[in-house]
Amino acid sequence: MEFHARNLADAIEARLTGRLEFTDHDRLRDIVALLDGPNLRRFVVDVSGLDFIDSAGLGMILILQEEAEQKKIKLIVRGPRDDVKRSIDLAKIGEIVSIEY
Amino acid sequence: MTISLDDCRVLIVDDNEFNRKSLSLLLLRSGIRNIAFANDGVDGLAKVESFRPDLVLLDVAMPRMNGLEMCRRLRSDARYADLPILFQTALDRDEEQVACFNAGGNDFISKPIRPGECMARVRHQLERRKLFIDLTVFRERVEKELRHAHAMQLSLLPEPRRVAELGETYGLEIYSHFETSSELGGDLWSVFEVDADRVGFLIVDFAGHGITAAINTFRLHTLFERSQARRGEPAEWLTYLNAALKDVLPTGQFATAFYCVLDKRTNLLTFAGAGAPNPILGVGGDLTLLDSSGLLLGISHHARYRTQQVTLPPGGFLLLYSDALLECRGTDGVAFGQEAVLAQVRRTAADDGVLDPVAVLLKPFFERVTRPLRDDLTLIWIRRR
Repeated sequence: MEFHARNLADAIEARLTGRLEFTDHDRLRDIVALLDGPNLRRFVVDVSGLDFIDSAGLGMILILQEEAEQKKIKLIVRGPRDDVKRSIDLAKIGEIVSIEY
Repeated sequence: MTISLDDCRVLIVDDNEFNRKSLSLLLLRSGIRNIAFANDGVDGLAKVESFRPDLVLLDVAMPRMNGLEMCRRLRSDARYADLPILFQTALDRDEEQVACFNAGGNDFISKPIRPGECMARVRHQLERRKLFIDLTVFRERVEKELRHAHAMQLSLLPEPRRVAELGETYGLEIYSHFETSSELGGDLWSVFEVDADRVGFLIVDFAGHGITAAINTFRLHTLFERSQARRGEPAEWLTYLNAALKDVLPTGQFATAFYCVLDKRTNLLTFAGAGAPNPILGVGGDLTLLDSSGLLLGISHHARYRTQQVTLPPGGFLLLYSDALLECRGTDGVAFGQEAVLAQVRRTAADDGVLDPVAVLLKPFFERVTRPLRDDLTLIWIRRR
């Protein structure tokens, strides 16, 4: 998985590309670190560039959600498609995290 | 890093007594007290056997057998393949020094001996050996423990004899495959007697694989015996398991699950899912993907699961499987995927002569993927007689 982050007015948008899976656990720390940005209200994880997510990848989204919640930042997962959308829907991640389709 | 060399044993092989003495003095000064001596290669080989050194300081030119020959002979013995051998040589031509390495030496020190350089090289070799041995011992211990843990994990699965008995009781043929990607895995399946007519099947896959996921399968297994009353109600039972797991699992650890109860009298299959891959129901040549969506187990106390119902009459079958079947990629980098799995299930089910549908189903899978698998693989094929 690759990710690129950019600053919006009161938000950070992290765009993930490739495959989000077990082996990406170390990268998660870099993404969590983005939550420490000043005056952050929203954190948008754009997954429209993701081709695949496994259960460990879903776990990473849930960890992000908890970290964001503790910092009172709203986490939004944006644009899942195909296999990634199927996996997110199957696991009902939408009951825990805001998903924008 | 400085490691104590107190307990290191060094053999000095040199035909010159003055050299033997001066080298041993250097070693003593560095705290190495276990020192043995040999006068030539023949004597040296015998001393290696009796003294069991951690390092050999080896002269090159000696009567009877020179140092190069002694080194070659040691290296041809598997027991001494890793024994550090340090040549000491007055020969400083390039090819002569290369000969020391070609004979199997780890390094050399030039004569006349420079004390600082000599001890630095000795220390370097001994420290490397210590670390190597530590690592080997650690590895052997971990491997042994993992083998035991693997056997324990297999004991969580229903015993084949019990599966056969339940098959008789409820008119089922049950085939399964369980394979972890490393010694330990995060998959688990089980079968439960609900009452005289109903039998329950559970498949669970904890996120990740390896030790953490495996420990979670043990956690879950201990929950099975409690709350037996709810086993007849899939959604209720998943709700119970979810709550119990939520209490113990840290964020990021969770499980996908599917639980179903088959009633042999009414032919009804009652089920609830928690994000497991869609089970495949086969009735009269038609295949249906069952809805197994539901919040992963262990994430939220607010999770609610939904019980659904289909008919599974005699002759029909149900296939439960973990996501490895869909997601493990072949050598071409392409995953099997849902369509290919459905097609293969269709082919397998259409063949009346199939003795073990799971083995037949997995044949093309294993022809594509390399082992060890990247994820744990579990399949249960339940056929009604």
